[in-house]
Amino acid sequence: MLDALLQGLTAVLQWNAFSFMLIGIGVGFFVGLLPGLGGGTTLALMLPFVYKMEPIQAFAFLLGMHSVTATTGDITSILFGIPGEGTTAASILDGHAMAKKGAAGRALGASLMSSLVGAVVGAAALALAVPVVRPLVLTFGSPELFMVAVLGIASIASLSGGGERAMLRGFLAGCLGLMVAAVGPDPQSGVLRYTFGQLYLWDGLELVPVLVGFFAIPEIIDLAVRKTAIAGDVSGGRLSGVFEGVKDTFRHFWLTLRCSLVGTWIGVLPGLGGAVAQWMAYAHAVQSAKTPEDRARFGTGDVRGVIGPGAANNSKEGGDLIPTIAFGVPGSSSMAILLGAFFLVGLVPGPDMLTKHLPVTFSMVWTIVLANVITVAASFAFLNQLARLTSIRGELLIPFLLFLTFIGSYTAHNSLGDIIVTLVFGLLGYVMVRYRWPRAPLVLGLVLGNIVERYLWISTARYGLAWLGRPVVIIIFLVAVAVMVSAFAQQRRARVARGAAHAA
Amino acid sequence: MQRIVAFVLAALLVVVLEPLYAQQPSYAGKTISIIVGYAPGGGYDRIARMVARYLPKYLPGNPTIIVQNMPGANSIIAANHVYTTAKPDGLTVAIFNRNLPLGQLVKVEGVRYDMTKFAWIGSMSSETTILAIRSDLPYRTYTDLQKAEPALVIGATGPGANTYDFPLLLRAFLKLNLRIISGYPSSADIMLATERKEVDGRAGSYSSIKPWLDRGVVRPIIRARASVPEIARLPADEDLAPDARTKAVMSLRSTPEIIGRPFVTAPGTPPELVNLLREGFVKVSQDREFLAEATRAGFDIEFVSGDAALKVIREVLNSPADVVRIFSSFFKFE
Repeated sequence: MLDALLQGLTAVLQWNAFSFMLIGIGVGFFVGLLPGLGGGTTLALMLPFVYKMEPIQAFAFLLGMHSVTATTGDITSILFGIPGEGTTAASILDGHAMAKKGAAGRALGASLMSSLVGAVVGAAALALAVPVVRPLVLTFGSPELFMVAVLGIASIASLSGGGERAMLRGFLAGCLGLMVAAVGPDPQSGVLRYTFGQLYLWDGLELVPVLVGFFAIPEIIDLAVRKTAIAGDVSGGRLSGVFEGVKDTFRHFWLTLRCSLVGTWIGVLPGLGGAVAQWMAYAHAVQSAKTPEDRARFGTGDVRGVIGPGAANNSKEGGDLIPTIAFGVPGSSSMAILLGAFFLVGLVPGPDMLTKHLPVTFSMVWTIVLANVITVAASFAFLNQLARLTSIRGELLIPFLLFLTFIGSYTAHNSLGDIIVTLVFGLLGYVMVRYRWPRAPLVLGLVLGNIVERYLWISTARYGLAWLGRPVVIIIFLVAVAVMVSAFAQQRRARVARGAAHAA
Repeated sequence: MQRIVAFVLAALLVVVLEPLYAQQPSYAGKTISIIVGYAPGGGYDRIARMVARYLPKYLPGNPTIIVQNMPGANSIIAANHVYTTAKPDGLTVAIFNRNLPLGQLVKVEGVRYDMTKFAWIGSMSSETTILAIRSDLPYRTYTDLQKAEPALVIGATGPGANTYDFPLLLRAFLKLNLRIISGYPSSADIMLATERKEVDGRAGSYSSIKPWLDRGVVRPIIRARASVPEIARLPADEDLAPDARTKAVMSLRSTPEIIGRPFVTAPGTPPELVNLLREGFVKVSQDREFLAEATRAGFDIEFVSGDAALKVIREVLNSPADVVRIFSSFFKFE
């Protein structure tokens, strides 16, 4: 196994594989930055070029592009509050808040560094998982996947923020998210729900237009109202925080590591989709705060809220590859497209990739690591300039941001319906921000709604009630209970403290 | 005087001969759009992109060809768009779900196209459906499946997909003892569930199940009408039907598989443009490099001409009313 590892490395460093990887990195860099142009769509566009290539070159090209989209997507999320990718929306909550306080450089530094750590952890997981991957993935059946989704919903309790009625609002927002997820056909009998006779809604709501509207439009309105630069009235002196951000990643190293592991694990579980990891990592980061006052800082610009999602959305890449390579089961829609690449270069995902073609698998590991190292190093060169964008006057930026938002929303499917969705969710997002309703739970409900429903149904149809007794199911359930109990306990302590403060 | 006559004669010659050399329409300097009714990465999208790369050199004038994705409503949106909005100038081609003629037949709400009015180019391949069961189970033929106890668990993605529709009819008409559990996100997830022994098998297109057949994880039991040599020896579902009507219903379900990857252009397109496109597609389907790449990607290329495709469509749309009624009771096409 060790020499396959070295073989993979030397193969990636060959001149032609390496130059394909550099081209991929160049493409991925901009794809991540631009909202709407997704990593998945770009993979599909790059696929035809792969036909004539050797397997290792092909994957250096494709993964070189895809593994950096989550790294640079965070940049747009932090600077402008517009999600550069569907997987980087969680970075907006604290990252953009930091930008508004003039700490954009620090947020960018933390995000890039945690992305790098996450990518390395995910790649290492892929490498280390090779001997155990088949039993590992086979342990998680539909009941277990259902319980993981329940765990995700339970973590809404941590995403609700502090405050009097925050928990209630959080769960209501989560329920609204679950209802919005129900739009479209029911997976079991095909009955259409909430489509109001509109063909556009037949497949349910697309995530990217929703996220772009939900997060970007309230920020743009806010910017217009404030009449200042994104960074408020803070003058240029604070912009050298990039290295501060890098140091933050290492100051909170265990958090970075844990969130990377969360991201990898969610990636390993097939069928959960690409957007979940960042939110669960964010929830975990919130839970890691011990006191209610500490928790209340999330959402206002706490660097830990940048590190968590930043690490998770990169480590997910390595995790996603595990079921894709070992079973041909894609963990996300991008991986489904990557499967097409396997067939184009003549490989079949499955046990062969872990034995006969192990060097190819390891070359993917090295591609993820090297691509992210190169991207992060290159980004540091002009991060400070990027951070200065936040001190440009708002009136100059708003047309550009609106342009990005609507192009991003439209180009996904050439559909006018997407623009309407963006506007509707933009309005909803604005109302929620204005009245202090937390938005993260709604997004989590939206991405988990389908998964929860499918796997609950499959588990019950297949096993009756017997699945409730499976050991892994019980373990995950207990973790979910623990998460909720700790959140409630924190809430009570906060209320008691508030009561004492009032009395005093 | 002579000069005038000569001039008039020359003019007459030009007028008479003009139609002959202006006959040759050309795509020089033009751009053709291929509209795909699904998101990038899926089977329809991949074959459209392959065609888009090889077709230009087989059309006069070497046009640029771009692919536009217009997913939604199982590609009904794309079909509607090309039917109602695209100009009949030979510059818009569409590929959509092969089952859309069935959608028209059962009068799905939202359908605004008439399949017979599209200008048909043809289909690049057929897609045949099979049912495959885990190899470690003792069942080998369909009669075994009729007697299977307990019922075999078949994983499916949802109604409207062949993973669901094919076993549904097998259970209803051939009385195979199957329990269909639907809701898996993709057919690859069903294969994982098979390896986990959560389900006992699945139905689906032969090309997508082939890797697992080759590895011996599952074995094929029964197929639909369209066939490829490797599975020709399997019994076809409609051949086992107990009576003519059920045979007609099963046949109706599998007929669109003959036009597995259907390409059309806008209704009312002049015949000479349609013929140019048809000839171009035929030549692409015979291009050696295209065939090599398509085979690698899992497609079994066999061009079905536009006229043959129209025949198939008309056969579907002219189904007798009682057959359509039974068919609609099973399939809501959603």
